[in-house]
Amino acid sequence: MARDPKHDILFEPIQIGPKTMKNRFYQIPHCNGFGSEKPLNQAHFRAMKAEGGYAAVCTEYCSIHPESDDTHRVSARLWDDDDIKNLGLMCDMLHEHGALAAAELWYGGPHAPCMETRCVPRAPSQIPSDFEHLTYPKEMDKDDIREVQGFYVEAAKRAREAGFDIVYVYGSHSYLPQQFLTPYYNRRTDEYGGSFENRARFWRETIEQVRDAVGDDCAIAVRMSTDMFMGEAGTQLERDCLPFVELVDEIVDVWDINVSGISEWGEDATPSRFYESGRMLPWQKAVKGVSKKPVLGVGRFTSPDLMVEAINDGALDIIATCRPSISDPFLPKKIDEGRLDDIRECIGCNICISRWEIGGPPVICTQNATAGEEYRRGWHPEKFEKAANADNDVLIVGAGPAGMECARVLGERGMRRVHLVESQDDMGGIMRWIPQFPGLGEWGRVVNYRKIQIDKMKNVEFIPNTRLDANGVKSYGAEIVIVATGGYWATDGLNGCTHDTIPGADASQAWCATPEQIMVEGKAVGDKVLIVDNDGYFTGVSLAEKLAEEGKQVTLMTHLGHIAPYMHFTLEAPNMHRKLHKLKVEIVTYQIPTEMAEGKVTSAHVYDEEHLTEWGVDSVVLVTQRRSNEALYRELKDSVGIDALESEGVTGFFRIGDCVAPRLVADCIFDGHRLAREIDSDNPEVPLPFKRERHVVEREAVLA
Amino acid sequence: MSVLIVTEHLRGQVRPITLELVSAAKELEEETSIAVIAKDPAAIADQVDVEGVAEIVGVKVEQDEFESDVYLQAVEQLISDRSPDVVLVGFTVNGMGFAPALAAKLGIGFASDVFALRRDGGDLVVERSFYGSKVNAEVEFPGHKRVLLMIRPTSWAPAEGDGAAVEAGLEASISGSRARHLDFQEVAAAGDVDITTADFLLSVGRGVGEKENLGQFEGLADKMGATLSVSRPLVDQGWMPSSRQVGQSGKTVKPKVYLALGISGAVQHLAGMKTSGTIIAVNTDPEAAIFNVAHYGAVADLFEVAEELEKLY
Amino acid sequence: MKQVAVLGDEVEFTEDERDVDPDYLDFALNEWDSYATEEALRLVEAAGSGEVVVVSVGDEDAEDAMRRCLAMGADRGIRVEAEAQLDPIQVARALAEVIQSESPDLVFAGVQSSDSVQAATGGALAGLLDMPSVAVVTKIELGDGKATANRELEGGLVDVVEVDTPALLTIQTGINEPRYATLRAIKQAEEKEIDVRQPGDLGEPGYRVRKMFVPPKGEGAEMLNGGAAEVAQRIKEIVQERMA
Repeated sequence: MARDPKHDILFEPIQIGPKTMKNRFYQIPHCNGFGSEKPLNQAHFRAMKAEGGYAAVCTEYCSIHPESDDTHRVSARLWDDDDIKNLGLMCDMLHEHGALAAAELWYGGPHAPCMETRCVPRAPSQIPSDFEHLTYPKEMDKDDIREVQGFYVEAAKRAREAGFDIVYVYGSHSYLPQQFLTPYYNRRTDEYGGSFENRARFWRETIEQVRDAVGDDCAIAVRMSTDMFMGEAGTQLERDCLPFVELVDEIVDVWDINVSGISEWGEDATPSRFYESGRMLPWQKAVKGVSKKPVLGVGRFTSPDLMVEAINDGALDIIATCRPSISDPFLPKKIDEGRLDDIRECIGCNICISRWEIGGPPVICTQNATAGEEYRRGWHPEKFEKAANADNDVLIVGAGPAGMECARVLGERGMRRVHLVESQDDMGGIMRWIPQFPGLGEWGRVVNYRKIQIDKMKNVEFIPNTRLDANGVKSYGAEIVIVATGGYWATDGLNGCTHDTIPGADASQAWCATPEQIMVEGKAVGDKVLIVDNDGYFTGVSLAEKLAEEGKQVTLMTHLGHIAPYMHFTLEAPNMHRKLHKLKVEIVTYQIPTEMAEGKVTSAHVYDEEHLTEWGVDSVVLVTQRRSNEALYRELKDSVGIDALESEGVTGFFRIGDCVAPRLVADCIFDGHRLAREIDSDNPEVPLPFKRERHVVEREAVLA
Repeated sequence: MSVLIVTEHLRGQVRPITLELVSAAKELEEETSIAVIAKDPAAIADQVDVEGVAEIVGVKVEQDEFESDVYLQAVEQLISDRSPDVVLVGFTVNGMGFAPALAAKLGIGFASDVFALRRDGGDLVVERSFYGSKVNAEVEFPGHKRVLLMIRPTSWAPAEGDGAAVEAGLEASISGSRARHLDFQEVAAAGDVDITTADFLLSVGRGVGEKENLGQFEGLADKMGATLSVSRPLVDQGWMPSSRQVGQSGKTVKPKVYLALGISGAVQHLAGMKTSGTIIAVNTDPEAAIFNVAHYGAVADLFEVAEELEKLY
Repeated sequence: MKQVAVLGDEVEFTEDERDVDPDYLDFALNEWDSYATEEALRLVEAAGSGEVVVVSVGDEDAEDAMRRCLAMGADRGIRVEAEAQLDPIQVARALAEVIQSESPDLVFAGVQSSDSVQAATGGALAGLLDMPSVAVVTKIELGDGKATANRELEGGLVDVVEVDTPALLTIQTGINEPRYATLRAIKQAEEKEIDVRQPGDLGEPGYRVRKMFVPPKGEGAEMLNGGAAEVAQRIKEIVQERMA
């Protein structure tokens, strides 16, 4: 297939400083959990984007000094020569694919708690971080300022030595240079605080010094937040940023423009729940209006048409992506080849970000099960080895996320025939109704992508409207049987807090419902609704939002101290709270129901069982926990038996997804993917060991 | 050289395709006769007396309505009697009910779903599609002095203008009809919407995905002041009654505005709506055939556009 | 039944430009034929006895589609050997002998094939065999020596027809919901032997392709660019203008 000529502009090279990008696709700095201490994981992860066509690929935020230590979160580091070696591998592998490598030099100030290095961060003023509340910085004097600027210079030199083509002086997300620029962080009264010129001084000087040191060899990038949405206290577009652009434009080679501070950086990494793609274009365009240099920025861009429009509209010169590059490293190539329906679009769930926010785990992606597995499992998102046992027919029971992904990958691996059988009239399973929650429409891309891919595959057949029982499965004629029957919300109030059911809870009653009953069956709820949410992620709050929007009076009760705590990690929490507050949803924490009946629920305080509260309600919704739909699997394994299956020719019998244990959609898709990748291993049920990047001692050598 | 057109009529009304056949015949610039096979041909004759028709041949039969054996025998006898070089029949359900059988029986040239024709020297050359309408082809009839063509509806505009046709008749001997018309049944449920009279249609197709999603578009149509119509696949799946179907086997519509969301534009669908005043099409496939007839198009996700439209109304 | 060719987004033509280069073609069972097969299976199942035989004209590769029908439950398959792409009347001639030898009570054909869309083979076959026929059938009820068939006319009107049997009916999509074949049935169908016959005299073709080409694109639509919000805004404006 050929590229659509209207996308040609995305493939025009562009000059940034002394370097040339071969096209307009740029992987913006983003975290992956690998840093400098898992260099093979890091390099393979980044190189995949270059292989996929990205002309420039960045590290995550890259610490310039032990004082900038964000442990438990994982940043890259350029502190010493060994870091040069480790990150240098990434540069080498990127260069092999003709991509530029960029290092986002970072000094966090008080936002980086230094829990590993035990250093003390420095900052313009001594106020604890709004992000890491226990961390106080040392207030910088002029010597400190010189010293820290020196850290940038030395780190830039290390970056050059490692092979980086682009070096950032990174301020966005309220990091040090931006802290100087912003009154919220900078209460200084010397020449580094107060007026615009003073507040801009630190950043300007740092850029000058870095440019002097490496500017002939590396392009100098500046990442700036053009609006922190904090009014006069925060960075403002017209007052601070546009003047700053004009002030330093000559010594900057490329501008990386976004918005937001660090405590609500979901305004930058926008969840699809609240924002559409291209949210920041107006700010990016404003900067382009005053700069003579190329401007790049993200916006959760997945549509090539929107990308072209952003460029033609004068908002951006370079299209940067973070999350869409995780969900599909081959986005540029697919646009280049005109294979638009093969693009695996980002759904804006921010599961990837949540891993970084939790601190430690490697990145994962709902749409792309291979994200983070490039090195440790050797998975390539676009390449699949023909299965050694491809001469087999596969029956997959259930076309939810796990089943669809398993079918897709088995199809790619050349299995002779794959029948994906589903009781409903279409694919999707749980992802048919979850995207119907307010704002979650883009999550439906999980289903759309797989539907399209499966439809294209001649060896995969989708069979709807067919509910197979154990006998049907047994006599279906498949050699490999995979059960993917999903899960369901408990109908009896079973929950992780009490490890018991809730007396009186019974979703067969008209006054009591589960999420599926409401979303799929359309079960009616009364005007006063109590949602019992022991889940901790989005189901409870989404239901609350939906019901409140329908005019119900909603009380959302959780045994936890926060409602939907996982949404802090996905950056959805602040706006979710604003929404619920506006909708007058009553939020009740630290409460667990002790009894329910029609019209009434009694609850106890989690830390004071005697303290009971009574609630008069019309309906109760149980979002207490999920259960696996195990029945078919159990019947096949226990009643029919493996021997009987074998005598029917079944040589492999597996289950995947929620029907094993309920989990994130990302993990269900991973589960289906993994089984398919390893369907020809000796024991596919057990995941093959993955490569662990770690230091292994030579015991004798150490003790000698 | 002459052309014979077989009239298609239903319940006393001549179908528009017949007049389109007259326009098609005009391209050949040959003497054109129209046959009217009916219980009372004279009652229908005026409707086909238009400019371009030299002769109207009435064939009296016992049957009010179309029956395949009747047309098979009547047209065979007409051909024998009038010796036309070209016989034109509509590519319609009725046409399918006798024309291929006749062509096979007589061993004459045959092509169906023809949308263009001309004479190249002495040879008849027509155009039709192949491979699911993705390619077109010029088709000829070497060795055939007589050719039967089934013409794609709406390929020509219906002929207009008063004619001055000579009226003639043919005595046909019809020896029985083995497939007999019993009754008509209206498929539209009583009280349902008549999409042919709507000024603004919001039409959805396969792109809508699942039945559950229809509600969203019904709601949107309501908000926008449009009537909801659908393409064939949604009717096949039982999601909507066929009274809502736009297309060759459904209704032909000509609203002021036809907003097609998630419809790719199969020929049969296009036939039902392409003469609409303003056609706006939204489809994720930039190659979708509907963009060829649309006045405005957007390559976009219909759900995303629908969500946005909802906000505006 | 017919194994139809499916053309993707790219196309190249043969050297003589009279056909598409077969490298660009995929193949599948004609959609109408799966409805026809299903309808036949239902009638035989309802009657309690009987046989469904699928017949097709094509080369050995065309047996793939036939095996789908066998996997659905058809009892026997007969293939009439043919190399080139024949026109519908020649196909009908190739089929006529076989049909006659089988003496069926009913002959079903799809209304049309999705690749050539001629809607002619069934009718032509009825003409050659001098069988009563009804085209575009959406419902069938069997009686004694006759059947009642609904014929679906344009505009949604249904013509209820009484037809003497044996008869040939061309079956329309949507008449039923075709069943799916299990892997077991598919495997069993693989093993089934398909009876291959040689065609008799195919006679002269009804037409000949002179030249095949990609249809020229019309001026096309004025494309509305931008994200969903911009598109929706433009749509609203256009609608307002035109409805005023």
